[in-house]
Amino acid sequence: MATILETARSAGGFSTLLTAVEVAGLTAALEGPGPFTVFAPVDAAFEALPPGTVATLVSNPPQLARILKYHVLAGAHRRSALVDQPEWESLEGAPVPIRRAEPFEVKNATVLSADLVCDNGIVHVIDRVILPG
Amino acid sequence: MTPPTAASPASVSRPPLIPPSQHRWAEVIHRLEAGGSMLPDTPENLMQIIGIYKAYAVPMDFYWRDLLYIAERVFLAPIRPFKYFLPQEYLDRPNAYAGDQADLRIWRGEAGAHPELLAFIDKGETTRMPKLLHHLWHDRINMEFAEACMQAMLWHQGMGGRFNDFLDSETYRANADRAIRAFFRRNPLMLGLYRLFPDMFLEQVKQLSYYANLGLFWEVMAPVFFEMSDLYDEGKLTTVPAAMDFLVNGIFAVAGRPIYHEVVIDGECFEIIPRSEGFTWLYEAALPYVEAVFYRTSPFRGTKSYNAQAGQVPEDQADFHYGILYADLFPVGSAGIPPTLLMQDMLHFLPPYLQELYRQHKRGEEDQLIQLGVTFQRSMYNVTSAVIQALRAALLYPLDDTDPEHLQANRRFFEAQMDRFLRPEARLGAIQTQEYR
Repeated sequence: MATILETARSAGGFSTLLTAVEVAGLTAALEGPGPFTVFAPVDAAFEALPPGTVATLVSNPPQLARILKYHVLAGAHRRSALVDQPEWESLEGAPVPIRRAEPFEVKNATVLSADLVCDNGIVHVIDRVILPG
Repeated sequence: MTPPTAASPASVSRPPLIPPSQHRWAEVIHRLEAGGSMLPDTPENLMQIIGIYKAYAVPMDFYWRDLLYIAERVFLAPIRPFKYFLPQEYLDRPNAYAGDQADLRIWRGEAGAHPELLAFIDKGETTRMPKLLHHLWHDRINMEFAEACMQAMLWHQGMGGRFNDFLDSETYRANADRAIRAFFRRNPLMLGLYRLFPDMFLEQVKQLSYYANLGLFWEVMAPVFFEMSDLYDEGKLTTVPAAMDFLVNGIFAVAGRPIYHEVVIDGECFEIIPRSEGFTWLYEAALPYVEAVFYRTSPFRGTKSYNAQAGQVPEDQADFHYGILYADLFPVGSAGIPPTLLMQDMLHFLPPYLQELYRQHKRGEEDQLIQLGVTFQRSMYNVTSAVIQALRAALLYPLDDTDPEHLQANRRFFEAQMDRFLRPEARLGAIQTQEYR
């Protein structure tokens, strides 16, 4: 099996996320043993943000890291476990609400593909960048 | 940044997916759901808000520079009569969002202090004379307004974000301690006082951190408003929703800007709130600012009793409602609630088309301050609309979403926001008509 980042790399469609993880200095952490649950926004999710949003974050790694950490939970949680609890604490500190089980929705994002099992956790692919608040 | 061009997706007519709102402000809610602003889309409203954004941006160009100067350089100076005298270095300090070297160029103008601001600093309302005389004659930018906004943020606290929590952390205390000791290393008297009353000094540093916070917040808003004014003059900003969308895009574009507090002492930089804490413009500055200043603030001294038995102010700080969205503009110039000092500042930089508008209505030039105050109120309802729409976009669903549950979630959010304007002091109803001046 592959790690979370290797899985994203080989799946394709996550180039913005992977670049962001590297710029934010989170690569080593996400290559570590974890385990983590990662809500991985596809490239189109980043493209949907207004112009300048990603550029500002990329030039400020600590702030970028904070937004990315909001997409990560400690522990490996499958969809079946996630929907049993209304919200989960992210590594950023703010809770990530699970808004709907069917279709599976995490905050205001819809999960496009759930339960991608990796060596160090589980990835759920989402269609939108989620933000704390 | 480019002006928003696309029409609101919700403007395409289709049968409604959810029933109409029954809220008292249902008309406004439906307008928000259609991609509009709380302020009706009329040519005059557009002219008023853009004109006042321009008039606001010039003094704001002074406010942000001076706020950062006080936070970074004046710091804890025990006697600081010249804190409003901006040194050339801060007048020249490049705005991070204007000029050729900008991180992200929002305004196509220059990065240094605005030419109209420099002209006003030079001559004021009177004539060219030494800065000290301008100051004593009060012929100057009213920095006290900026400080009042900062104090509103400091006093209300706890309005989202992590900034305030950090001010109570051990890390902050240690960072502040290092800076305080360095600042007073040649002043044994102040160092002695610090040993006796450390918390008093710490509290002052916390206030200075809010100076930095607000300065960094306004550093963004000044070029945003200048650019909107230029786009309007060029005929590229033609509706109120387009003006709101420009603000929404601006909010997103700079959302990740770091909020920090650095102090320069004898050429050495002390990080009191390091950028590495990850504090952002949106969460730690913009949202607390809107809450503290647009909604809450506090009554002008002498107008309300804080005596608990008198019950003149709300028990809960969250219910304070003395911001511009609720202000009665009539008592302007007296001990009233509206931001009188700001209104005086904006009066100096009104574009000619607003001066002409005010001449045509009410008492003409005699009550310009009230008329521009009402214009400012309209413009801040539009900024608040932009914040509401930005939050909806960030946390909820697109306006053209086709899932009724999502649309209901948006509806609940808009209705909750409008609940804040149910209290009688709110001016949301007044700004729906052009007669309110």
